Amino acid sequence: MASHSESIIREPLITGDNITYAQITNDVLRPVENMPGRAWWIGFTIASLGASLWVFAVSWTFWYGIGEWGLNKTVGWAWDITGFVWWVGIGHAGTLISAILLLFRQNWRNSINRSAEAMTIFAVICAATYVVSHMGRPWLAYWPLPLPNQFGSIWVNFNSPLVWDVFAISTYFSVSLVFWYTGLLPDLASIRDRATGIRQKIYSVMSFGWTGSVKTWQRFETVCLILAGISTPLVLSVHTIVSMDFATSLEPGWHTTIFPPYFVAGAIFSGFAMVQTLLLVTRKVLGLENYITMFHIEAMNKIILLTGSIVGVAYLTEFFIAYYSGNEYERYTFLNRFIGPYWWAGCMMYGCNVLMTQLMWFKSVRRNIPISWVLSIVVNIGMWFERFVIIVVSLHRDFLPSSWAMFHPTWVDMSVFIGSIGLFFTMFLLFIRVLPSIAMGEVKLILKSTSEQAKKKLLAHGDLDPEQVKYYKESLVKFDSVEIADYQKV
Amino acid sequence: MDSNKKYWKGLEELDQTTEFVELNKHEFAEPIPIEDVLTGGGLMGKTPRRDFLKALGFGVGAVSLAACQPVPVHKSMPYLIKPEEVTPGVANFYVSTYEGQAILVKTREGRPIKVEGNPNDLIGKGGLSARAQASVLDLYDITRLKNPVKNNGDYGWEQLDNFIKDELTAIKASGKNIRLITSTITSPSTLAVIADFITAFPTAKHINYDAVSYTGIIQGNQNSFGKAVLPHYNFDKADVIVSFGADFLGTWISPVEFIRQYVQNRNNKSLEAKKMSRHIHFETGMSVTGSNADARIPIKPSEEGPALISLYNAISGKTLPGDASLTNNKVATNAVALAARELVAAKGKALVVAGSNDVATQILVNAINSLLGSYGTTIDLDNPSHQFAGNDSEFTEFVAEMNRGEVGAVFFLDANPVYDYYKSKDVVSGLKKVRLSVSFSDHNDETANLCTAVAPNHHYLESWGDDNALEGYYTILQPTINPVYDTRQAEHSLLVWSDSATKDYYTYVRNNWDQKLLAIGGLTGQKGWETLLQTGFIKAAPTAPGTYSFTYTLDSVSQKILDHSKALVASSGSVEFALYQTVALRDGKRANNPWLQELPDPVSKVTWDNYANVSPSDMKKWGYEDGDVVKIDANGYSISIPVLSQPGQAQGTISLAVGYGRTISGPVGDNVGKNTFPLYSLRNGTLQTAGVATLTSTGDNSPLAQTQTHHSIEGRYSIIKEATFKEYIKDPAVRSGGEEDHKEYDLFWQKYEHPTYNWVMAIDLNACTGCGACVVACSAENNVPVVGKDEVRRRREMHWIRIDRYYSFDDNGDGGKTEEHEIANLDSYDNVRVVYQPMLCQHCDHAPCETVCPVLATVHSSEGLNHMAYNRCVGTRYCANNCPYKVRRFNWFNYWNDARFENYIQNDHTVLVLNPDVVTRFRGVMEKCSMCIQRIQAGKLKAKIEKRPLKDGDVKVACQQTCPANAIVMGDANDPNSEVSKALKSDRTYYVLEELGTQPGVGYQVKVRNITETEA
Repeated sequence: MASHSESIIREPLITGDNITYAQITNDVLRPVENMPGRAWWIGFTIASLGASLWVFAVSWTFWYGIGEWGLNKTVGWAWDITGFVWWVGIGHAGTLISAILLLFRQNWRNSINRSAEAMTIFAVICAATYVVSHMGRPWLAYWPLPLPNQFGSIWVNFNSPLVWDVFAISTYFSVSLVFWYTGLLPDLASIRDRATGIRQKIYSVMSFGWTGSVKTWQRFETVCLILAGISTPLVLSVHTIVSMDFATSLEPGWHTTIFPPYFVAGAIFSGFAMVQTLLLVTRKVLGLENYITMFHIEAMNKIILLTGSIVGVAYLTEFFIAYYSGNEYERYTFLNRFIGPYWWAGCMMYGCNVLMTQLMWFKSVRRNIPISWVLSIVVNIGMWFERFVIIVVSLHRDFLPSSWAMFHPTWVDMSVFIGSIGLFFTMFLLFIRVLPSIAMGEVKLILKSTSEQAKKKLLAHGDLDPEQVKYYKESLVKFDSVEIADYQKV
Repeated sequence: MDSNKKYWKGLEELDQTTEFVELNKHEFAEPIPIEDVLTGGGLMGKTPRRDFLKALGFGVGAVSLAACQPVPVHKSMPYLIKPEEVTPGVANFYVSTYEGQAILVKTREGRPIKVEGNPNDLIGKGGLSARAQASVLDLYDITRLKNPVKNNGDYGWEQLDNFIKDELTAIKASGKNIRLITSTITSPSTLAVIADFITAFPTAKHINYDAVSYTGIIQGNQNSFGKAVLPHYNFDKADVIVSFGADFLGTWISPVEFIRQYVQNRNNKSLEAKKMSRHIHFETGMSVTGSNADARIPIKPSEEGPALISLYNAISGKTLPGDASLTNNKVATNAVALAARELVAAKGKALVVAGSNDVATQILVNAINSLLGSYGTTIDLDNPSHQFAGNDSEFTEFVAEMNRGEVGAVFFLDANPVYDYYKSKDVVSGLKKVRLSVSFSDHNDETANLCTAVAPNHHYLESWGDDNALEGYYTILQPTINPVYDTRQAEHSLLVWSDSATKDYYTYVRNNWDQKLLAIGGLTGQKGWETLLQTGFIKAAPTAPGTYSFTYTLDSVSQKILDHSKALVASSGSVEFALYQTVALRDGKRANNPWLQELPDPVSKVTWDNYANVSPSDMKKWGYEDGDVVKIDANGYSISIPVLSQPGQAQGTISLAVGYGRTISGPVGDNVGKNTFPLYSLRNGTLQTAGVATLTSTGDNSPLAQTQTHHSIEGRYSIIKEATFKEYIKDPAVRSGGEEDHKEYDLFWQKYEHPTYNWVMAIDLNACTGCGACVVACSAENNVPVVGKDEVRRRREMHWIRIDRYYSFDDNGDGGKTEEHEIANLDSYDNVRVVYQPMLCQHCDHAPCETVCPVLATVHSSEGLNHMAYNRCVGTRYCANNCPYKVRRFNWFNYWNDARFENYIQNDHTVLVLNPDVVTRFRGVMEKCSMCIQRIQAGKLKAKIEKRPLKDGDVKVACQQTCPANAIVMGDANDPNSEVSKALKSDRTYYVLEELGTQPGVGYQVKVRNITETEA
């Protein structure tokens, strides 16, 4: 691959001059090998406060009971399952980037997959905390697992979507972890090779004795492909199963077959938004603009636009089917999203997810880093409200009007959620300190073919179609890490 | 092994010499020289080392014993010798009586845990009210007085008796009056004790004082027929019932009995015989009775008098003097004319009742009834009710007497006038002038607090006695537990203080029965007494009805009524108010009972509070929201109370419940709601419940704890199905959905086999009046926790069965307006129809909850029930989310042990009320109606032990057993002859949300209303 040159009309995936393998390693490992800067400390302090809040709020819940939340006999799930689905959804982007884009040979995944997959793992951890903390008797949280027991033996209920969740989330977590860790091995070896003392010992253990021989690399690539093959169905199946938590019930607003594709699209939508939220800041603070370029940013925004539109189409379908079915409960549920007491949540949901996302049609929007960052937050807010509307607004007014009730969150509900965000960022910030945030080995793979300097060499050689060269030069304009002045002469 | 041989330590013991006896009193034969050792003088003793070791050994032993953790006292004592009648695990039932009804008290291990109706009880035929069901909890109230009190300090009985006897002697010598103020006493033995007391103290007088009295009716009958009685009403003999504010299904005189009677002409059996009574109701606020009526017309209190006069005029053809036109209420005018026609057509089978306490009004009602031939048919003056004998003016005179200093001693039995008399200040000032005031209250209440002494009475479950609520019907009261505290029956106290020859009340009762009462029931002697204690009652042959002719001149009556009505007309800026009692709390005596406080009011569904009912149109007009606190000024008294939008409330009026605002009732009842008793007014010798008030907004909002906040059915006719009687006659299956074709989707579901039993239930919506007795019975039977006002506000009450109440408006026979946006646009909310639907776990054969539980905590049984395994539940709450009926209850907190919920049960005593057959649920665990699985198992076990098959009626679930209307029937669907199978065969049977395919095991029966077109 490195010996062939890539077409000039393809945008570079690595920008900057004189990028060598060593340069890549140095750039990526700077936060790992040096003391953290002020930005990191500020972020980490805030995140840790959030994580402590989470510990406090969850402990409070364990101690006093689920009554400390705002739930009641009509609305049995609210912020807890909203948070759970939100976090699981966010995780899907990482796996898609790592696995599916690998199978589709999209090289632009190489620089973002490490952080994205880390994000997935931390998101799944946050989701798993909700699974345990929302239970009435969390000390028995292992009971939904089909473990051998002396109670008869009692099996779990395989008809229940919550048991399917158990399998889905656990396989998702374990496979993602294995895939992520396997990909880390060459990079851990790089760190080991540059480290001394205790750090060297630790990274040496962590890198499983990576030698870097050809055979090792060959096996590595095969294993990655296999794991990618295993992970790919998970991208679709995990959130399908999570959506079954609702789709297989009979509540109006939940009981609909569109949920699996709708939720999967939504998950990818919110996952990519979270990746944007993280990476737009990370690349700036850690100086990784050359590796996470405007191409990556725009590509991700396009995926956000696509999946957001799928979600928008799903919304339209839901409304149409609610009307067309003639089912009075279904119709009322959807009307209630707009004219009922939670109309504001409905507006947030539809507004943020559909309207705001459509702005991405405009080049100026999706190539603008600050706006992209703001929109990524908006998307995640919108997706949170989507789950809130689906869960709470459907539950609070279902079949029997006598049980219609309002839900009001308590400080504990809010603390658990905000705290989980703190927990997530704590883990992510620690990740940046300890592990390479970019897959160095994989980026080095594409350096010789798809980097800006490789293309400069190509341009220098001459004998390229001038149309294509013009096209290439125009495509470079959007990059914030490219010196356009260098291309005036060509 | 016991041996009769006695060994003596020596001759001293045999001879019992004085020294020996002295020495024997000490613990050790030789004193231990601790003192010596400690003061260092031990070395001087004869045996210093030995002494030292003795002291050391004793000291160390004593110290180590003292230092040890005291062995926790486990307060369960196994029987070493089993008492004859108590088998642990097996319940004993004892007959007793509550408010004149014959009841059965279920006891376990020597303590009562549940009250059931005696199936042979004349009044309820086994049905009981919510208050009766809740009465068992009062026995275990840990804030009861545990001993006599004098001057607010603890006292002993002997001391108290001596003190009181001395005082009474002095008072008797002074010639001052002695008064016994009691709630109406219907017990013949108690009345006899009081009579004996009066014999001993000739200046004594017994005054019946009812906080909410029926003096108007009694005095009215005295004036009309010369008989000062409260009649016995026979609603079952009436084809047409017209009520003017008489809440006979809720709180008027004898609601349990009236529910049973009323429903007989409206339930499934009656409908299948093509018969249905007609009930027209005129009232101010929406009462339980009004909500069940076929036609309900809101009228202001000032319009009631003219309406009655118009009715009389229409029926008699005469015209009484005075202007009785209802110019502002055309609907009422038409309704009165219609009612008159229907009543006349049903002559001999008609009944007109009025809730007013005004004598003139009741005289007019008597006149109307007389014209309709009600006396001897629907009204029985010959076998009257003794249930309320209070005379308002007697008590008012007593208060005046007290203030004049003429009363030397006063005894309060079941009376709390400092709280519930309208001029409480007068009672307080009067009491100060009374030398000896004694209350028999079991609690320190508002009156007892000001009394010289409190001689706490037993709880009725600890007492001997009898009752005679209806003429000729005598019930026996026997204790079901030894007295828990150092209390004493009031009758016993009176016997002691009057130096009676009979020293204890049991003997007195026994003598009374042996000599007088047993014979009435054809019983004699010990055998007769034992039969009585088995059956619970005796019944005398009823007196034949006499003829009563009404000859009173009505001219002055109608004038009085019209004058009164004019006084009630509110000027602009004021409103008319009407006071009423709630089904749960009534006059407030049992305010400290958490089951009653948490029972949602049948109509408003509010708990733990009283409020001002305001018509929704007035709410809009005055700009109020639910819960806005308004200041109500009337009769020189003002309270601030939240408002509640109440459809059907007459415009320009508010209704207020009495029985709230207790200040000294116990931790549960104190400061719940506001006291509205002072709003009563005295007129023509009786206390009136209506008046004029001004409302001012305070700007505060105090949210009410309602268990239901959405009140319309939103056009969802698969939940509530209604039809008119005419439609029913044409087609009995009308609206039941039976004629529609249902496609069966059995593809994914195995059909459950029910090889042995298939427990199902039938609920007749025409029988259910919404009284709520089932809710309390279920809570008592199944150890359902009380969660308190805050949690109810958060919609987390734990009741396993609830009664949903829906309103529909402007019903032109088409079901009416039931959708939120339509209702919001209405101008008037007067034309409202109400329907009640008891909702409990439907035990669906295709239960949505069972599929989704991850740990199989909820599964289906082979007997058609949905089981809940509490110890398997991890609390994910998916089952509750998936239940379309929303009948599942989650334990949000550990209500049994979390100190924040301590309102009545977190102590060793009150937990004894729990049913040992039902486990209490920890936090994080889901619960729901189990169809009293413990009773099903008990029934099956009993049949097995008796080597016979289970028969219908062996198993009665708690809600079914207590329903006075027999609206709930539960039984085995596999038995074609069971009551439930027959009920479910009815054409009116339908299943709620049947189209969802949940296959519920509870069938409802279409509500049929007897409405005529002229009302539409």
